[in-house]
Amino acid sequence: MQRSPEVTLSSMNRLRAQAGSALAFGLMLLLGALGATAEPARAQAVGASGVIASPADYWFAGTRLTFDRAQYRAGRLAVATDDSGLARFLGKLGATLAYQPGQKYVVITTGDRRAIAFVVGDPRFEVSGTTQTAGFAPYASGSAAYLPFADLARALYVVPILDGDATVLQPQIAALEVRQAGRVTTVTVRGASPLHFKRTSDDGDDRVTLVFTGISSTLEPTRDIPGAALNGVTISASGTSRNPTTTVSFEVAPSANRALVPGDSANALSIAFAPAGVALAGTPIPGAGVATVAAVPVAQPAEPTLATAAPTTAQATPVAVVPASGPTPTALGLATATVSNVDADPEGDALNVDVAIAGPVTYEWHRLSDNRWYVDLKPATLGIDPQDIPVTSDAVQTLRVKGFVGPNDHLPTVRVAMTLATPRIVNLVATSTGLTIAVDRLDDLAPLRVGLGELAGGKLVTSIVPLPAVVAAAPADQPPAPSAWKFGAPLPVGTNPRLIVLDPGHGGSDDGAMHNGLVEKDLNIDVARRVKALLTARGWLVKMTRETDVDVFAPNDSAHDELQARCDVANQAGARLFISIHTNSFTTSELSGTTTYYYKSDSYGLADAVHARLAASLPTADDGIRKENFYVIHHTTAPAILVEMAFLSNPGDAQLLKTDAFLQKIAVGIANGVGDYATPGAPVSSNGSAAAE
Amino acid sequence: MRTLRTLAVVALLAVLAFVAYRFFVPRPPSGGGTIPVYYAKLDGETLAKWDVSVNPNARDADSVAFYATAQAVAGPPPDVTAIRFPSGTIVRSTHVSGSTATVDLGGAVAHEQSGSFAESGEFKALVWTLTALPGIDAVDVKIDGARVATLPGGHLELDEPLTRTSW
Repeated sequence: MQRSPEVTLSSMNRLRAQAGSALAFGLMLLLGALGATAEPARAQAVGASGVIASPADYWFAGTRLTFDRAQYRAGRLAVATDDSGLARFLGKLGATLAYQPGQKYVVITTGDRRAIAFVVGDPRFEVSGTTQTAGFAPYASGSAAYLPFADLARALYVVPILDGDATVLQPQIAALEVRQAGRVTTVTVRGASPLHFKRTSDDGDDRVTLVFTGISSTLEPTRDIPGAALNGVTISASGTSRNPTTTVSFEVAPSANRALVPGDSANALSIAFAPAGVALAGTPIPGAGVATVAAVPVAQPAEPTLATAAPTTAQATPVAVVPASGPTPTALGLATATVSNVDADPEGDALNVDVAIAGPVTYEWHRLSDNRWYVDLKPATLGIDPQDIPVTSDAVQTLRVKGFVGPNDHLPTVRVAMTLATPRIVNLVATSTGLTIAVDRLDDLAPLRVGLGELAGGKLVTSIVPLPAVVAAAPADQPPAPSAWKFGAPLPVGTNPRLIVLDPGHGGSDDGAMHNGLVEKDLNIDVARRVKALLTARGWLVKMTRETDVDVFAPNDSAHDELQARCDVANQAGARLFISIHTNSFTTSELSGTTTYYYKSDSYGLADAVHARLAASLPTADDGIRKENFYVIHHTTAPAILVEMAFLSNPGDAQLLKTDAFLQKIAVGIANGVGDYATPGAPVSSNGSAAAE
Repeated sequence: MRTLRTLAVVALLAVLAFVAYRFFVPRPPSGGGTIPVYYAKLDGETLAKWDVSVNPNARDADSVAFYATAQAVAGPPPDVTAIRFPSGTIVRSTHVSGSTATVDLGGAVAHEQSGSFAESGEFKALVWTLTALPGIDAVDVKIDGARVATLPGGHLELDEPLTRTSW
């Protein structure tokens, strides 16, 4: 393989790195010898097997933690990546470790999704982008890397505490985050491990008191909270080093509402507060004395407006890792570009907007539902005055340009915004002077709503939404415009032009997703049966990959065998169309809606027809038509689509899925979409679309 | 003369100290020492990225590819809304051969039943992350060391190398 100079060490660099590591190691040895260490220095010999001859007495979560692959380095505990005690420790915290012998990184992913990255030979390590320095550099030995355990523990919000001759690994509450959204205040408590708590206050109290067991805290004892529903928070730690508890009391405004809301990990607990009269989503806080585990199911909150983490002064304090404004999708580490001119150039009923840009930028464009369209270029400053640019065009009513600083990423940004006269297709084309925004007549293809990428060196080097509206990155097999499938070259048609194969997803030993009391396989076959009845009544022959709750290939078979068996049903029968019916789900409850997937170009027309009917008739969100390489719609010969009816993980969608009326609407939508696309009994040699047309 | 000699010694020591500082004191990565790591937003279509630092002592292609994989699987920091690999997913290995990176995943992802939407977002982000590295065009996915047609959830096809045009 060709290796880039950027990622290949020169021998000189290697020498410098090794020398640097040696120097750092020497310094650490010296520091260790001077006793400049928070961890108790130990001098046990290491046995031939690598097991410490006189094992350190480590305790964690009430039990002794035994390391079977540990050594001492500079008086500090070094634990191997394949140590069973380390695996148990990480498992209790919900963390995972990734290390591959022969390469240099060791990445630990915490339960709350922070990445801790060590590098063999370098004492510096990264915790979610924050660089810290360990007591010694990790080192490789055999098939393992040895890590500075105390530093790792602290990064995991676990503090080693001396308790007599033993070292107790005490989990900590690491941060208390406060977010304001309108009149709702949400407080998130983050811990080292899954949070267990009991409420000791009563319903209606002006104070909500939660006692967290097995976890301590070094957070500030009091916190004033700005907001209408919450006055402040007090935190106090008690108990012993081995059995700590932390009490968190929320001082609530009189009659304010409060509710548990899904946290972003099992190690987080989020509670929302709102003044009386302001409704809150979420679930009631469990009653007094009820033992509860926090934060399942998890959800993804908005970025915090105010983040407060543990103090970072004492070495025994967990690191602060929650950024105040989240990560910034960066602009390639580039210097700021300059937009020096914006000019409108009508061409017939189309319009080209030429944007002169000096320097590489990232771009992100959006189409709004009211025909407004804009693109943000960043990092970029505006070299001209912000202005409305006169336009004489049937395509665009207004055109303006302005500069500002992005509210989230704080990058200088130039925005070019247009009000389109009618729905139009808008393409971005790189030019030698910058960028042309080409506004043209809309073909029948549903326009995209968003796109982003990078402009550098006269090229759109990246388009993150690789779909038709983005010229530079459109995939070779992008969906054809409807004219291509309706009136273009003949598409492949099965040998049985009256046959449609319906594929109720999952079944038998495979339940599919399960949420809110619903089982995906049951919903899928219910709707498939309804579709079959409707299509049969309209003259189609319909075959189902499964008629009952069974595996199509065999119980507990492999995914390949099961899915190929479903494709085989359609392929061997010479089906005209293939429709797979599924119900979507997600790890959190917030996603909802109906999606229709296709993969092959010849399937886009069917997807378009069916989805149009579904979107028009269903009360669910319209999640659109998407191209995905799903197995069953790839390996069927006929035009094939996969319909995800709704999200059974979403409470609203789940309620709908529990009603006959909604399931029937889906079935009618699919059947009507098929009718729009094709007519049964068309000649084999005709188009894939309505052969009778 | 003695003063001149003293000054010369001091100057020499200063030069040596500077050289030692430049060569031996580890410094943060200089410009370009980052790689983009992508994540899928909750619309399932849009990808965003954040940059992570590449350690100056670990820039060989295999290490960087492994690191990129681990970061993509970990996902962005916890306060960022994103489609994420299931908690407990493990990166077993990443090997680069030619223009293809072979990623072996295990743990929770091997039992994932989270739906087509999540599968697509997870692997799209992984593929975009790895193919952003020099020389990598495709990503071959294995689960627990074996090639599979799909995850147990049975949607996204994984028995062929994934590229940016797979979506």
